[in-house]
Amino acid sequence: MPGAEHAAFAIFLQQLVNGITIGSVYALIALGYTMVYGIIELINFAHGEIYMIGAYLGIVLLSLLTAVGLADASLMLTMILVFAGAMLVCMMYGFTLEKVAYKPLRGAPRLAPLISALGMSIFLQSFVFLAQGARPKVFPHLFSGVGFDLAGARVTYIQVFILVVSIVLMIILNYFIRRTKTGKAMRATAQDRRMAALVGINVDRVISTTFVIGSLLAAVAGVMVAMYYGFVDYFIGFQAGLKAFTAAVLGGIGNIPGAMLGGMLLGLIEAFGAGYISSEYKDVFAFSILVLVLIFRPAGLLGEQTPQKV
Amino acid sequence: MKKQVFALAAALVVAAAGFATDVTAATYKIGVAGPMTGDQGKMGQDIHNGVKLAIQEWMAENPGHKVETVVGDDQHDPKQAVAVANKFVNEGVIGVIGHYNSSCSIPASTVYLEGNIVQITPASTNPTFTDRGMWNVFRVCGRDDQQGIVAAKFVADKGIKRIAILHDKTTYGQGLADAFRDALKKNHNMEPVFYGGITQGDKDFTAALTSVKAQNPEVLYFGGIYPEAGLLAKQAKDLGINARFMSGDGTIDPEFVKIAGKAAAEGSWLTFSPDIRNIPTAKASVEAYEKQFGPVGPYSIYSYVSAKILLEAVKATGAKSARDSKKIADHIRNTTWNTAYGTLKFDKKGDVTESPYVVYETRDGNFVQITGLNQQASK
Repeated sequence: MPGAEHAAFAIFLQQLVNGITIGSVYALIALGYTMVYGIIELINFAHGEIYMIGAYLGIVLLSLLTAVGLADASLMLTMILVFAGAMLVCMMYGFTLEKVAYKPLRGAPRLAPLISALGMSIFLQSFVFLAQGARPKVFPHLFSGVGFDLAGARVTYIQVFILVVSIVLMIILNYFIRRTKTGKAMRATAQDRRMAALVGINVDRVISTTFVIGSLLAAVAGVMVAMYYGFVDYFIGFQAGLKAFTAAVLGGIGNIPGAMLGGMLLGLIEAFGAGYISSEYKDVFAFSILVLVLIFRPAGLLGEQTPQKV
Repeated sequence: MKKQVFALAAALVVAAAGFATDVTAATYKIGVAGPMTGDQGKMGQDIHNGVKLAIQEWMAENPGHKVETVVGDDQHDPKQAVAVANKFVNEGVIGVIGHYNSSCSIPASTVYLEGNIVQITPASTNPTFTDRGMWNVFRVCGRDDQQGIVAAKFVADKGIKRIAILHDKTTYGQGLADAFRDALKKNHNMEPVFYGGITQGDKDFTAALTSVKAQNPEVLYFGGIYPEAGLLAKQAKDLGINARFMSGDGTIDPEFVKIAGKAAAEGSWLTFSPDIRNIPTAKASVEAYEKQFGPVGPYSIYSYVSAKILLEAVKATGAKSARDSKKIADHIRNTTWNTAYGTLKFDKKGDVTESPYVVYETRDGNFVQITGLNQQASK
């Protein structure tokens, strides 16, 4: 029965599309975790909240620009402004977050900034809850539904958009880290903070830059997710943060290509696990992989086996 | 020094005044529980507003009595619900109106039983709530199994054969989905083509929906609440699933249409009790409610009715505290109540003897009642 075979392939393809879409979002958020960990060995639990704030900003800015009539005039320009605005504000959040919550604890035992991170996470969540209210916010349905058929699988333009933007951002980030002077400084700081300071690198500035870049990526992920699901509430940051953290560990925390790979893999594992085994255990697949990786390859898939860092 | 003496004297006077009012009139505390904040916050607020209206009216009719509410926010979390229940017991409430979610009402009811407190839920529809033979629980709304029977009969009558079922793994959602599946099987000899769960709070259901799509269903039934229902309807449409969306009382909320988008919500079938605006006996209460709190929510008037029943029972039995709860419960069980929903009677378990469900269709963003009560399954 070639029809059945074709249908089975279409389903496979559809799950692939589903997995890659959500995987790109995980990857973008995971980059923020992994970059910060790479440099100051801190798991920035407030990072998921930056993503949530990005999603809210997307909705707020879009409503604002629709209200002044710009959205009707040029949707393209509106979306560029929405992304730019969300990125800018989230970068400021990321910068301030580091200055307020982590910098004063630079020399403290490792547990202190971790607790500070959890505190900031709770603070930001409650702040958005009070400022924006408890009801979920709905993103205008501007882009939903439109798409094309790819060998029987349905692909929406927004899914393509998410994938393309994520890949472009990752390429830019890779270039930035490998080829620019700041990128070099970041790598040096990640290798040895004290040594980097000795050779004249402004470590504080490098750390701030890391937070700002991570927040920028989270903001983009937030706005894209708000567009994709059309729905934002103040605790989306928690779950997304947990998943992205898993992705970062899966790929090897501190390792940038690892975070990208981990994010994509996690999205695919979830989609195929939920699609072919049981949708009820979707999260179980994601976190079982985390457990397996931690048992058999504690440094992650692409992480270097450097015992002194673990 | 003088100042302190004065303060002390003032405090004594106030205390004495406090005692004086206690003697002349009774003060009751009623616990109101539900998700007051969070994504289901509106449902909790609806319950609270309904109770507020009932208290206002009752206090106007019974001058000299004073009723206070103690509000508990369970955040639709069973653990939180138990904490709220313990708080109510310690505060000495005379009865509880709530909770909203079955997954909260059920664990909380055990605490109320131990604390000897009557609990009336305006919204929890899971059968287990009343099926455990507890004397202190009542429910004024219907039960999921009745909702499932109505939904199953409706789709069977339409000649629909291919039905996919999803649920959100909660007590309410899965209970509703199971009731629907069981009714399909028992009454109409039909099997769903897909049955599976998703996670409440998740945003991406494309993986589960792709499996649903493979079965090419005519109806996609969801047991769950509106945030997930809205996202499911939207993502199903985006994936090109042409099934009609069907769900229960947890979905019948304007937010469902907002989240899904008008196009994806269009034509959805939702089972719920008949439109309160179509019930003549409820007209006055609905008007009074809307004047104060805005449009009635799905459970606003149920909460109002629950609070009225509790207060009347407290008055009739002359109950002073939760120690008289057994008397209150017996009175509720043995009385025929004239309410906004018409005459209500409770059975042994605490369920209302007649619980009507009808089917609504989403048309242009509004919920339109498309079946009458007479089409209810005879069971």
